Amino acid sequence: MLKVAGVDAFYGQIQALKGIDLEVEEGSIVTILGANGAGKSTTMKVISGLLKPKKGKVTFLGKDITGLRPDQLIRKGIALVPEGRAMLAEMTVLENLEMGAYHRKDSEVDKDIAQVMERFSILKERKDQLAGTMSGGQQQMLAIARALLARPKLLLLDEPSMGLAPIIVADIFKMIKEINQSGTTVLLVEQNAKQALKIADYGYVLETGKLTTEANAKDLLEDTSIAEAYLGG
Amino acid sequence: MLGELINPYYLQVASFILINIILGLSIYVTLASGQLSLGSAGFMAVGAYTTALLTTNFEVPLLVGILAGVMLAGIFGIIVGIPSLRLRGVFLAIATLGFGEIVRVFIVNTESLTKGAIGISGIPQLGREILDKLEVIGFDPEILGLKANQFTFLIVFILLLIIVIVLVCFFSRQKNSRVGRAFSAINMDEQAAASMGINVTYYKVLSFTQGAMLAGLAGALYAHVLSYISPADFTYHKAVEILTFSVFGGSEVVGGAIFGATFLTLLPETLRAISEYRYMIYGILLVVMMAYRPQGVIDEQMMRWFKRRKGRRQQHGTENK
Ligand SMILES: Nc1ncnc2c1ncn2[C@@H]1O[C@H](COP(=O)(O)OP(=O)(O)OP(=O)(O)O)[C@@H](O)[C@H]1O
Ligand SMILES: [Mg+2]
Repeated sequence: MLKVAGVDAFYGQIQALKGIDLEVEEGSIVTILGANGAGKSTTMKVISGLLKPKKGKVTFLGKDITGLRPDQLIRKGIALVPEGRAMLAEMTVLENLEMGAYHRKDSEVDKDIAQVMERFSILKERKDQLAGTMSGGQQQMLAIARALLARPKLLLLDEPSMGLAPIIVADIFKMIKEINQSGTTVLLVEQNAKQALKIADYGYVLETGKLTTEANAKDLLEDTSIAEAYLGG
Repeated sequence: MLGELINPYYLQVASFILINIILGLSIYVTLASGQLSLGSAGFMAVGAYTTALLTTNFEVPLLVGILAGVMLAGIFGIIVGIPSLRLRGVFLAIATLGFGEIVRVFIVNTESLTKGAIGISGIPQLGREILDKLEVIGFDPEILGLKANQFTFLIVFILLLIIVIVLVCFFSRQKNSRVGRAFSAINMDEQAAASMGINVTYYKVLSFTQGAMLAGLAGALYAHVLSYISPADFTYHKAVEILTFSVFGGSEVVGGAIFGATFLTLLPETLRAISEYRYMIYGILLVVMMAYRPQGVIDEQMMRWFKRRKGRRQQHGTENK
């Protein structure tokens, strides 16, 4: 479904990605693991159009999408939940959800919003609360719900578990699994390697801008060297 | 009877208030997408000089001159807006202030065209032009019991009032439209807005250009109300004054620009009696304001509160029936 081939990306003079090749199959959950500063978020930015790669090619559903803008990509079915949730803090929960469907002109937006609020009941209870005053976990739910309202085919999640209590993290991962089962392909960046690999089908390991390892998630979970580096023993 | 009520001086002040409201709106609409521009004085000069030169040298109709001023200010808005996309906050403010100074220095130095620092006088007056047109079809202000000059001031005031009402309606509606929501999303978090499928570049340039066109319109109207303009009218003092209209009144809402422009235009006028101190009082007021209420007198919360009250009163109304 998604194919990244030979991508180099820069921030000014600093090279953040060096020849990234990765693939995401339709219907799967693929995870990218790596230490801080490895280039995980940068990879997500390239795929979602926030950053233009200097070299390489990104294809989605057989079409070249390299260098397209985020607003063009969201129409093609790629939605990103950025690192750190990126709330529209002074808008209410409901307004944030409506913004998630910003590019849609179909008549099912209201229905979808109602449906998403059923799924995330906290959002329904708090629909008139300002997003910026929600707790970290609630904001993460809102960020994911908002991305779902774009009706993405491919959902990009950048560290959804960041800064959340273990019990909430478990909830979030369960939710990601459910979202995937209802037909959305997921590309997941995580520090929380063990949990990510448990729900994922396939995994990549990124080190200072290069992909060093890739394998089925199950195999990565059992790989001792990976375990030492990223799974906390 | 009407004649006794109409005082040209008050009408003149009221007309300046209306022009200043348009200027306040120009700050409001650029700030709506999170861009702090101090270029308003420059765009105002573009609007004012365009129509002044066209109408005095080529006898172009006023309406055409004013529209040309607005369009040219808009084109400058796009030209300045696109490179400014890379700049944020204070840096954008400085760059746009620089633009204003370039415009002013250009005007000062192209004497053959703009008469330089001396300025352009004898610009057709809006009220006078309208009266001339009406006299052709046999209208006489005496019918209303007005002297000619009372009528011209009155008609200018009414015309400006209509323009301001139309603009206020337009921008209040825009705030709640797709465009307005894109602006505020960009204002809150640009990356988030982009990841939601908002074309950030497009909307930022749109908001900047709208601001430029508003300032250009205010400048063009100013030229035809005063009939004399010079580069001294468009210095950075003016740019800062325009900014304070919106920031003092409240930059989050359309009502803020209206309140700020009205209050700050009236304040020095009412303090004329103690003229030595009036700008000191003005200054102190601004300092106190920024320390205790940086969002301005009127803010979003206040508007919500008003709406809730109104809503409740309506509910009570139906219950009583
Ligand atoms: N806007 C930027 N300007 C300059 N350098 C940047 C920028 N964003 C990221 N970088 C650099 O690019 C490299 C990769 O950063 P990236 O954000 O992709 O890391 P990451 O893998 O997501 O890390 P983390 O787990 O901490 O989120 C880092 O060395 C970082 O310092
Ligand atoms: Mg990151």
